[in-house]
Parts: sequence; structure tokens; C-alpha cells
Amino acid sequence: MNERPGLAQNGATGPDAYRRLIDRLPVTMRPALNQQLSQWATLFPFEKHIVASLMKGVETLSPSGLGALTAPLWALETKMRVKDWNFSQAYDTIENASQLARSKYYGEWRREVQRVFDALNASVRDATPFHAKQARLMLLVLPRSLPVDAHSAWKQWGPRGHAVKISGDSERLCELVLKGLSSQAEGATQAARQGSFDSSDLWFIDAEAKLGSTLYHRSPIAASSLGYAALKPFRDRFLAELNKAPKNIRATDEIIASLRLESWDGWGLWPAEIANDPRLRKFVIDLFLSGNGALIFSNAFVEWAICEALRRARPQAIVARFGMRSKPKLFTSIAVFENQQKISSLPDVDDPENSAVDAAILARYAWLAASRYPEQEQTLCLCISEHQDTAYVIPPAGKNLGWNPELPIGPEELYSWLETFGVTHIQLSIP
Amino acid sequence: MDASRRNLLKAASLLLVDHLALAARSTFAAEPGNASRKGDRKVIIVTCGGIRRAETFLDTGLVNIPHLYHDLLPRSVFYPHIRNAGVTSHYNTISSILTGNWQRLDDWGQSPPANPTLFEYLRKRMELSQDDAWLISSNKALTNRIGASSIREFGPRYGANVVFPKQLLINAVIQAASQGHPEHSADRAAMQHELEAILQHADNYEGLGWSVSGDESMLDLRMQASMHQAIEELVRTNAPVTGDEFTFLISEEVMRRFAPSLLAITFSDVEVAHFGSYSMHLAGIRTMDRLVYELWNLVEELPAYRGRTTLFVLPEFGRDFDGSNTNGFFNHRSSDDSTSLTWMMCLGEAARAADVIERPVEHIDLCPTIAAMFGIKGLDLPGKPLPALSA
Repeated sequence: MNERPGLAQNGATGPDAYRRLIDRLPVTMRPALNQQLSQWATLFPFEKHIVASLMKGVETLSPSGLGALTAPLWALETKMRVKDWNFSQAYDTIENASQLARSKYYGEWRREVQRVFDALNASVRDATPFHAKQARLMLLVLPRSLPVDAHSAWKQWGPRGHAVKISGDSERLCELVLKGLSSQAEGATQAARQGSFDSSDLWFIDAEAKLGSTLYHRSPIAASSLGYAALKPFRDRFLAELNKAPKNIRATDEIIASLRLESWDGWGLWPAEIANDPRLRKFVIDLFLSGNGALIFSNAFVEWAICEALRRARPQAIVARFGMRSKPKLFTSIAVFENQQKISSLPDVDDPENSAVDAAILARYAWLAASRYPEQEQTLCLCISEHQDTAYVIPPAGKNLGWNPELPIGPEELYSWLETFGVTHIQLSIP
Repeated sequence: MDASRRNLLKAASLLLVDHLALAARSTFAAEPGNASRKGDRKVIIVTCGGIRRAETFLDTGLVNIPHLYHDLLPRSVFYPHIRNAGVTSHYNTISSILTGNWQRLDDWGQSPPANPTLFEYLRKRMELSQDDAWLISSNKALTNRIGASSIREFGPRYGANVVFPKQLLINAVIQAASQGHPEHSADRAAMQHELEAILQHADNYEGLGWSVSGDESMLDLRMQASMHQAIEELVRTNAPVTGDEFTFLISEEVMRRFAPSLLAITFSDVEVAHFGSYSMHLAGIRTMDRLVYELWNLVEELPAYRGRTTLFVLPEFGRDFDGSNTNGFFNHRSSDDSTSLTWMMCLGEAARAADVIERPVEHIDLCPTIAAMFGIKGLDLPGKPLPALSA
């Protein structure tokens, strides 16, 4: 994996130098940073940039300056008796989180850690922004099979966007966007070979197996592609291993650590689009280990994958498609953590109404996740309900639609409007 | 609920409680049972996992709680602002409610509460038997250690019976599945066999707070037949079963047979939210709403409870707000009001005049309030008695 040139390359760089700097920080700040260093080869460029900037901040401060900045956190750790805990400095663990959360100083600790991080980042005054202010696209598809409620679908999406009616076949819009992005394939792939484009800039996340049929009739492109359906063999094996965890925090931490380090590649369970991408394989394992239903429900997988891709990679474009889940089978509402296809050999029965409820709120959560980051100002979000042939369109901050949202708009016309922002064109993202 | 589901759950609950009764006879033969003291006050505490106000008692959520809102609210003392100022995890929250002290324990219940529980106060001060103190829970996050504290003067000898009915069915299902029959009919047959075996031989059932002993031949043959028939009916259907429904039926049987003075019930269907299904979370709220209503009707029906029972219903906490960096309704980790502020309803004897108490209260206020209802005085607890209730 190529590292981008120009990302905090001056001064102390690289995991070994960073480890020495991390040792100067309060104990409770260390596990997350050390964990990232231990996985350096499989971090996304944005994550490396964040660590490098933070380390530059630590390095920039004099010992007395760093001491003054972190003194309240050190004092808090003393009050919390962190040194008496079984606290891992190498990894974030469930036991770490549990010990922190049950401390009566937990809220104060969270605020103090945030203050130190903010101050360290602010101290790097000449830090280069990771991305230029280029437009970004988030396309979220609620497929035709999901009967999303027309009256409530868009009510909670906030004031920045507009509900619009799509005249004609709304599925056409997704096809146009995918083809537009695919047409960038050769250029982006070439750029990726040269190290000036990274596959983490473009994500395709699919609950079923629909996006791929549009994308992969061409040569492979430089993108990160995840499909819940395609991951089924891997998911089944992974869930079986995870369910061996006993009801004990330390044992569970040990199992999670071993799952994280397990060499999954020999099992031959990875789908083709992931098999040759160690960074994406690691992303999937982290996704499943961080929970939030990604192993159990396809729509939770899509939402959590979007959230994590945004947090870890800040991509230029995400296209995500939600899907159908089955109705709970006999007993599975008791043991929902289990694989219901394993629990019961009864055939799966689709649950369109409730899948629509799930997908609708999770699509909004995906936008809310994007809204937490500064890049949201340049982001154009389009959520399409194919069942209603409607969409919720959120233009970049300060931009107008340029057409009357009360009038229906055709898919080609809407696609042309997207093109005016350049969001369907992958751009080289070297600052 | 589908008739076959109901029949199975009912039969299973009868069988399980029968086991408990047998065990109680052998284990506590020297202690006088108090189930016959029907003049005593009764208190039932129902906690129901993490539920946001937005999905319940705010305008957006009233549709999910028709029974709580239309049938029970008008006759209740309602606290719209109850704060969980402790750790918003299940084991810590329920321990805090039961002890009246904010507990900061292992989240997975590996250590007992650090202060005496209401069960222990009641049993020690009032010299009650274990039959008079029960905790029946759907929640996997709890363990039987929640029934008694680590305080030497109290502890397990004054603790509650703790039962996890849901685990019974989970074990049955997982064991059936582990048979691995690929053929549909064989799989169903295995499930039926396993269910019967586990439900009828509950001695090794890990979900029970204390071991169940007794001679199986003593079991009521009519009940065994009923169980067998219910299982046969169930395996012919594809009807889902929820843990809270089973917990309710076990609770009903315990109320009928033991009429405990203090019964804590913890529902947890809503916790499917952790897996990201909002529709199933809402279904869990609607199930809780129906079961609480059925529970109140049962209180009014049973002579041992009618007119002398106070029922508290409250979520343990809310859930995280939409847009939080903890993924909204999935979790209950933020310190925001969406997670720490919820509601409580009180019905029955102590709630003689319906009222809405706007003044904020806290989860740890329940313990001193309930202790006072039982006439237990002199406890050094940080919480304050809840306003508008009769002692």
C-alpha cells in the first residue's frame, strides 16, 4: 500500500518513532494509538494522516508544554486509580472500556481526553488538510422491494435537503451514477498504480448483490467494495468463532484479540473483490468485531460499514444499497444473536415492511454520521426510495438545487445536475 | 399471540415453576413459606431495558405504547423525568435500583452488588423466606449474582430466587440446532426432542439461580402431557417466540404459586436494538406495553395481589440520540439526556391519586421508597423517597 507523499513526513515519522512519542502521553490515551501503530500496514491514508498529525503535535510541544497540557488528565487517571486496573496499553479492549465506563469520573475523563486531542491537533498549525475542498457524493439506495412509508420517509432528514419526486424509473439514476463512476475506472486505476489515488476514496457497499452486476462487467477498478451477501461464507464462520466467547470480559477480549490476529486468508472464504486487498479484509474483521449488528442484519452491515468508512477513510464517494431481511423464525427472536439459517432449516421469508423501517432510519443515520465531519459541507447526499420513485437531496452547504423541488425531475436530468458538482468524477486527492 | 406459541410457553412455564416448587420444598424445608400471608403488601418492579422517551412518552412514540398511555397512565403516578446517574449498563442499573446505591460493577455480572439489595433488607428485617423474593429476567447481561450482595451481614442467605427463563429456550434451540440435521423434517424433529428433553430435565439448566432438584417422577403427569402437546403444536408452526413473553408467563406462575412480597421482572426484547433492527426494537416496546398491561390485569385478578400491590414500571435507561457517535438507538453509552433520562410509572396501592410529578427523580430513589412501604426504617441510603406515593 502506498503512503501518500507530503503527509507529516517531516520530523519523527513511522511507527517506531511514534511509539516513543505515545509513551509521553497519559496511559488512557495509549491503547487506541498503539493499536493503530500495530496495524500500520492496513490503515487507510486518512488514518495514517491523523496519527501523524497528532504525533507531530506531541513532538512540537516542549516537555513542559506537553506536561502542562496533560497534567489534568494524569491527575484524573490517578483519581481513577488506573494504575490498579488491568488496563491494556496495547489495544482497546472491552475490559478497558468497561473499567473506564464504570468509573465515576468517566464523563470528566472523556471531556479531558477530547481537550488534549483538540489541543494537540491545534498545535500543528501548518498541518496540511488531508483533502482539498472537493465535492463528495453519498448515494444511498432504498431498493424498490422496500415499501418505505411515503408520508414519513423524509420528515426527519433535517432542513438542508429537499424531498423530490423522480419522474420515470428511479432505478435508472443509480445505474447512471455507477456507470459514471465506472467510467473513471481506467484513470483511477492508473492513478492508483502511481500512488496518487487510493481505493479508499471510492466505496461500494451492498446489502444484497446488486451493485456489482453494474460495476464488474468491466475491468476491476480502484474501489473498496463490500457486499453482505458475498461475505456470507466468511460471516458464518466468523460468527461461529465469535459465539465461542464465554460470558466473561477477559476471555472475550482474548477471543477478540485472537480473531483479530487470526489468519483468515487460508480459509478461502473471502469474496473475490476482497481476497487480494489485505486492508479491506482487515476493515471487514474490524467491522464485525465492533458489533452493531453487522454480522446479523444486512442493513446494519451497510450502515455500520458506511459509518466506519467515513470515520476511517473520509472517501470522495460512497454508493450504498440497503436490502431485505428475513422475518424472524421460530425462536430466533429469543436467540437473535444466532444465525437463524443455522438455527432453523425453514425457508427464509422476506419481511419487506420491517426491512423498509430499518433501512429508512439507517440511511438517515448514514447521513448523520457524515454530518459529524468537516467534509459534510462539500458533500452532496442523495437518498433514493425506488419504491416511491422519490429522493431526498441534500446539496453541498450553501448550494441551491437550481430547480424547483416541487416539480418531478427525471433521472437523466438529476444525474446531469449531480455532474455539475463534479461528484460523479473521481479526482486525484493529493493535497 | 399465536395459540400454539402461547400453549408452548404456558406449558413450559408451568413445568419450570413446578421444578422450582419442588426444589423450594427440598431446599427450604426448614423455613416457613410466606406465600400464604395474603394480607401482606406486595411490590412488583418491572424494568424493560433501554427505551428512549422518543419512542414512548413523547408524541412521536405514543403509538408504540397504547396500553401504558391510554389504559394505565390515567390511574398512575407518573414521573416523566427519572435520571439514571450511574453506569448505563444493565447489570449496574438494575443493581442500583435494587440497592439504592449507584453500582459500578463488572458489566457482565461477575461480582455481586456492593450494597445490600431490597431482597436482603426485606428477608432479613421481615424474616421472610426465599419464596418471597424473586427476580425473573429475560436479560442475558445479568447473572444470578444480582440476587444478593457481597455484604457479610446480608448476602446469599437473604437473597432472592433468580430465574432466567429465556436461557432455557435458548439452550433448547441451540442444542437442537447443534444436531445439524440438514433435512427439514429431521431438524424439526430434533428440535422437538431437545425441547422436550431440556424442559423436562431442567436440573442442569444454567439459567436458574439455584440448582433444581427433585424426583422427576413427582412431576404432574397432566402437566407433562400438556407440555408434550404444546411442543408438538409449536414445531408444526413457524411462529416466532420472544423471550419477554416467556418471562411474563414464568412470572405469572410464580405469582400464582408463591405470591412473593417483592418481585422484580426485567424484560429485554427491546435490546435487539444492539443489532440494528429498529423495527424489531419497536416491536419489543409494543410487546412490553402489552405485557405490562397483562401484568396489571393479573394483579387485579389474583386475590393475593388485588388491592395490596404497588407496581413500578421503568426503562433502565434510554438509548443514544440519533446522530450520536455511538450509533444512536443501537447503544446506551452516551451521557446525554437521551440515554440517562427516562420515565417511570407507578400503579396500585401506593399510587392512590393519579398524578404527574414533573420534579426530576432518580433510579436510586426506588429503594428507600419501597423499603418504607414495607416499614423498613433506618437505612442509610443516598436516594430520597419518591414524592406523591403513600407509604
